[in-house]
Amino acid sequence: MSTRTTRGKTAAMSIAAALALTLTACASDSQGATTTTGGGEVSGEVALLTPIYEGTEGQRLLEDELLPQFYEKYPDVKVTVDYTTYNKLNEKLTTSVASGLIPDVMMMGVGWVEGFAERGVLADLSERGITPESLEGDYSDEIVRAGMWDGDVYAVPIMLDTRFGVARMDLLREAGYDAPPTSWDELLEMSEALTIRAADGTLERTGFDILSLDPRQMFETMLFSAGGDLFTEDLSAPAFNSEAGVDALQFVVDLVHESKVEDIGFSSANADVNPLISGRAAMAITHNSLWTQTEEAAPELLDQLEPFVIQGEAPGMFFGGTLATMAKSSKNPAAAQALLEFLASPGPALAANEQRGNVPALTELLDSDYVKGNRLVQFAMENLDSAKREGGPSQWLEIRAEIKPAVEAALLRQKTPQEALDDLAATAKTAMDR
Amino acid sequence: MTATTARAAMTAADRAANPRTRRARMRKKKSWQSRAILNLLLGIGALTMIVPFLWMVVTSLKSPAELAQFPPTLWPQEWRWSNYSEALRAAPFHLYFRNSLLISVGHTVMTLTLASMAGYALARIPFKGRELIFMSFVAMLMIPTYTKIVPQFLIVKFMPLFGGNDLLGQGGIGWLNSWWALIIPGGLSASAIFLFRQFYLSLPKELEEAARLDGLGEFRIFAQIYTPLIKPAVATVGLLTFQESWNNFLWPLLVTTRDDLRVIQVGLAVFQQLESTSWHYLMAGTTLATIPMVLLFLFCQRYFVEGFTHAGIK
Repeated sequence: MSTRTTRGKTAAMSIAAALALTLTACASDSQGATTTTGGGEVSGEVALLTPIYEGTEGQRLLEDELLPQFYEKYPDVKVTVDYTTYNKLNEKLTTSVASGLIPDVMMMGVGWVEGFAERGVLADLSERGITPESLEGDYSDEIVRAGMWDGDVYAVPIMLDTRFGVARMDLLREAGYDAPPTSWDELLEMSEALTIRAADGTLERTGFDILSLDPRQMFETMLFSAGGDLFTEDLSAPAFNSEAGVDALQFVVDLVHESKVEDIGFSSANADVNPLISGRAAMAITHNSLWTQTEEAAPELLDQLEPFVIQGEAPGMFFGGTLATMAKSSKNPAAAQALLEFLASPGPALAANEQRGNVPALTELLDSDYVKGNRLVQFAMENLDSAKREGGPSQWLEIRAEIKPAVEAALLRQKTPQEALDDLAATAKTAMDR
Repeated sequence: MTATTARAAMTAADRAANPRTRRARMRKKKSWQSRAILNLLLGIGALTMIVPFLWMVVTSLKSPAELAQFPPTLWPQEWRWSNYSEALRAAPFHLYFRNSLLISVGHTVMTLTLASMAGYALARIPFKGRELIFMSFVAMLMIPTYTKIVPQFLIVKFMPLFGGNDLLGQGGIGWLNSWWALIIPGGLSASAIFLFRQFYLSLPKELEEAARLDGLGEFRIFAQIYTPLIKPAVATVGLLTFQESWNNFLWPLLVTTRDDLRVIQVGLAVFQQLESTSWHYLMAGTTLATIPMVLLFLFCQRYFVEGFTHAGIK
């Protein structure tokens, strides 16, 4: 009797589970294809893929503040938003391209545009009136170039992520310095003087932290400071293994192994807290978001943060960022372009930057209250003319994944800087010639 | 001679007279020592396992200012319970939680049903090509998940007669942006089939023969005779499937574009921006996200451990 009851219950539960699954699956509606509707030139449904505006705050900004403004101007356009993360953006774009379901407007990073433009995924915005000349007045040249491929514009910048030097002035003053370093010699001397070790040799404070950001971005900042470039002018070959590149990598390797300014493992890109905030570093190469992190964790330190470009043969400052692109296959190109231009326009771009604590790409936003109230963002904008970006060749996403292991191999002394960069250059060249 | 001295003298005499007792005592002492060492080692192992979990909970109760301190504090100076409510407000977690639960339960039910049948067939029903099919399943275990993502995505997108697709799978979006895409592809795995097969293989053939003599058919032998004997396998596969499904992040992100179909892991990613992480919120959200798994493990612990021991899984 009890076996029969159990059996009956099991059967009923199985049927219920199967039914529930079927009903749930059937209840989901399918996404209709975008179609151009009547009622005006700019109309239709456009899909937006974005790694920014995430979370409740970001969504509220986009859907409750920005898109209503857009709809006021373009009432016949409907925007569907697909939120993703930067970490998985590449997978999202790759599967979209492979399946042919490419979002009408896509946000992507600096260095990403080239590959997708070469594969014919992105619309040539120059053909649609967004030319390099039309952007030059609004952005610095290097930022405009970040959205270009083969002489044409494929992307419009919205926000920038910058890396430069930041010093804790309270710690510098304690050691007798009243300003950040202005050359590599000064940087080395101050880094050594500001480093503190315990009696048993344990590192307590690094004079110059180079480990709390991605090794690739750290190397690129130093490479630009050494006057080097990632690739040759015509993008036909790597240039990061030039004398400048080797000098840059040798400098950081020596900081660790000769000057003992920082120990491997002392910090990492995934560290809970930036060592500048915890007082475990006196100077560092860091991201502009340090300001917002400090605001949250230790606002009393904000006055002590002093940004500086890492001055070598050239000013060393690196920028990445987020750009808006448009799909070549968009069924509603006018609506897609309208959305792209709207998101990159001053008001929405400023709001997006403010929400993430990033650097606006538009030069005119230098005078905004947000920029004036964020010392690191303001510094970044004031020095954008001397900032350089990563990317260049269409194979950049493939090449960039190889830079971190190469830099780490040199830092761990598994290879000399020259060997590490030459091997990396060979890998990059193979990818570029493919 | 006092009583104590007499007892001591007798004990010494006993010891001298009875070497067996002495050996037994020695063995007892040795066994106590080895048990103490074993317990110590297991205790250290258990502590090592639980410390990250405790650290997560403690971190979820600290303020950003406290998290910035070095050396880090062990115990929160100020218990910030509000981190939990604030974290829950950062994304529609109730929705994500429901979706994760539906998908995980769906995957678990499907896997238990289908994988146990497949495992039974491979273990107990002789048919031509059985070994080849089994080896194919074993080979599937070697394929990294990442390499399967794009082909799997294309299968889902070109699913005929769904999402506006025609018979050839053209013209629409197939299963994309639907519960089908979230549930069906994860509904069966080669590893689950493999585990079930190993369990069914370990059961005696005599049971099957007796059942056949009693007139039971194949399905009833599977459902009423053998499957009730492999509860540890059911618990193990069920828990592993639920856990994998609960922690899945990439697939739900890829096959959906609508926020109302997103899962809890996608919600947690909100706290990890490119250059900064809100650790206090991330740890609060993660603590909440682990609760279903912890509860499930507590309820199925006995079978789960048995299953692992039996299958030799580490």
